[in-house]
Amino acid sequence: MRRLLFLAFLLIPIALSPGLRAQVDDDDVRRFYFDTISGEYQATPIGVDDMKYIGNRYITHEDSVLMYYTTRIVQSDIDFYADFELVPLDSFFLKTYEINEMSVLGWRRLGADLLVKLEAEFPADKLRVRWRLYDTIKQQQFARGVLERSKVDWRILGHEISNAVVHTLTGEAGIFLTKIAYCKEVGEGKEIFIADYDGANEKQLTSTESINISPCFSPDKDELYFTSYMRGDPQLFKVNINNLEITQVAKYDGIVAAPAISPDGNKIACVLSKDGNSEIYVLDLKGRVIKRLTRHQAIDTAPTWSPDGRMIAFSSDRSGSPQIYLMDSDGLNVQRLTYQGGYNDSPIWSSRADRITFVSRTKYGRFDLASIDTSGIDYRIMTEVGQNENPHFSPDGKHIIFSSTRLGPRDIFTMDITGRNQSRLTRSGRCSNPVWGPARK
Amino acid sequence: MKKMAVLMLVAMIAVIITGCPEKPPPPPPEEPVEVAPPVEKDTTPAPAPPPPKPKLTEQQLQTVYFDFDKYNLRPDAKASLDANFALLQEFPDVILKIEGHCDERGTIEYNLSLGEKRAKATVDYLVGLGIDPGRMSAISYGKERPVDPGHDEVAWAKNRRAEFRIISQ
Repeated sequence: MRRLLFLAFLLIPIALSPGLRAQVDDDDVRRFYFDTISGEYQATPIGVDDMKYIGNRYITHEDSVLMYYTTRIVQSDIDFYADFELVPLDSFFLKTYEINEMSVLGWRRLGADLLVKLEAEFPADKLRVRWRLYDTIKQQQFARGVLERSKVDWRILGHEISNAVVHTLTGEAGIFLTKIAYCKEVGEGKEIFIADYDGANEKQLTSTESINISPCFSPDKDELYFTSYMRGDPQLFKVNINNLEITQVAKYDGIVAAPAISPDGNKIACVLSKDGNSEIYVLDLKGRVIKRLTRHQAIDTAPTWSPDGRMIAFSSDRSGSPQIYLMDSDGLNVQRLTYQGGYNDSPIWSSRADRITFVSRTKYGRFDLASIDTSGIDYRIMTEVGQNENPHFSPDGKHIIFSSTRLGPRDIFTMDITGRNQSRLTRSGRCSNPVWGPARK
Repeated sequence: MKKMAVLMLVAMIAVIITGCPEKPPPPPPEEPVEVAPPVEKDTTPAPAPPPPKPKLTEQQLQTVYFDFDKYNLRPDAKASLDANFALLQEFPDVILKIEGHCDERGTIEYNLSLGEKRAKATVDYLVGLGIDPGRMSAISYGKERPVDPGHDEVAWAKNRRAEFRIISQ
C-alpha cells in the first residue's frame, strides 16, 4: 500500500508535464485513487497494538501464542479492509526510544490516525478480549467492547473483533466472517471448495472426479449452486455446505450453465441451450422454467442480478464480439452497455453502487478487470498484469475477488473496488472461478 | 469270352445286390443335407464378424479447428469433415459424441457456450452432408480440457477444436 501511495506521487508530475499528455490520456483510467462511491478516497491509517495479558496469574506459553495469532488476525483483517491501512509496529522505533510499548502518541508519530488496543484474559479455558479504539490525534479512547470465545475459536474471535472495529468506524457490517468458494483442480477434475474470506479453513465440498464450475452461493441457505459434468452433459446441481449432499437442480438438453441466484433467493438466472443456442432463462429453485429472457441466435450468457433484483446484466456476442448488455429482469428493454475493446464479458453487479465490474480485453490482448457505471460512462481498468477473470464482489461491495495468472499458474486474488490492495489469496496454482458468499448474521 | 460273361454277370449281380439296398439309404443322404443348412447358417454368422473387424477408431476421425472466438467452419475444417463424412458412411453403426473446446482466453461461461456452438456447427455440417442426426450428440467442455497446456498461439490454435468421440459401434 505504501508502494502504491509512492507510485501515485510519482504519477502526479507525469500528469502535469504537457509532453506526456497523450500517454496520460491513455492511462488516466488507471488512477490509483478512485472510489466508485464517493470519488477521491484515502484509506485511514490504523495501528493495531499487540495483545496484552491483563490477568494476575502466570499464563502458559500456549496462551501467549494464542494472543499473538489472534492479534495477527485482527491486523491482517484491518490491513485487508478497503477503508483502512494498517500501520506496522516499528521495532526500530521501540529500540531507539528504549521502550517496549508504544504509547498513543507513539502511534501518532508512526502515522496512525486511529489505534486498536487489545487486552486478553483467560477465564475458564476461554479467550476473552477487550478491544479499545483510540483517536491518536485527540489521544482519547472513543469506543470499546468485550468479546469471548472458547480458545479453539480464536480465529473467529479475531474476526469478530475486526467486525466490531469496522462497524464502529463505518457503521457497516464487517465481512471478516464471510466465506468464499472456488474451483480447484483435483486429479482430472475440478472440485468446488469453500474457505474463510482470508483463505483459511479450506474445505472440499464436492468429490465427483468430474468438472465442476461456476459456483454460486444461495443468499439465504447453506447451499452452493454449480454446473457439473458429473452425469455427462453440463447440468445444474447444488451442494449443501454442511452435509456435502449433492442434488441435481435442473436437467435440460444441452448445457445448463452460469447460475446466478436472485437477491431474494427465490430464482435462478442461468443459461440453457435446449433451444439450440445459449439463452438466458429464469428458473425456480426446483429448476422449472419461469421465463425465457433472451431470444437471439448469438451467445447470451453470464447473467448477474442488480441488487434490487429488477435488472439483469449479461454478456452477448450479438454485435459480433462479446459485450455487456442490460435488461429488465423480465427480459425487456435490452440495451448495450459496453463499447470499449472487442471483448467484454463476465459481468458482476456491485451490491453497493450502480456499477458493473467485468472482464475486458485490453492492450496486447490481455484480459483485465474493468468497471463501468450502469449509465455506460466512466470505464476504468483495474488490473494491469496477467490474465484476470471471474470478478465477484464481497457482500459489502467494497472488495473484489478474482482469479489471475499474473504469477504463473492461475490463483485467486483480492483487491479493493478501487483496484488498490491487490493480493494473492491461494498459492496452489490450481484455483479459479472464485465467488464471495453472503453476509451472515 | 466266358470269363468276360462271368465277370459281367458278377458285376450285374453286384449292381443288383448293392442296388437293392440303395433305396433305403436315400434318407441318410437327406439327413446330412438337412444338417448341412444349419451348418451353413452357423458358418454364415461366423464370416459375418470379419467385416466389422476393421473398426473405426477415434484417431481416424479428424479433429476440426476454429479461429479465436469463432464457430464458423474454415475451409480446412470442412475438408476434415468431408473426410470424416466418408468414414461415417463406411461405418453406419458408429454413434458419436462431438466435443466443442476453446482456448484458455476469455471467460469460463462464455467459452462453455462457444464450445457448444462449435460442436453444433460440426454436427450441423455433417447432417447437411447426410449423416443421421440421431448418430451424433454435441457437448461443450468450454476451456476445461485443453490438449496443449501452453499459453501461446500455437497451443491456443490446437485447443480451439471440435473432437470426435465414439460412443458405440
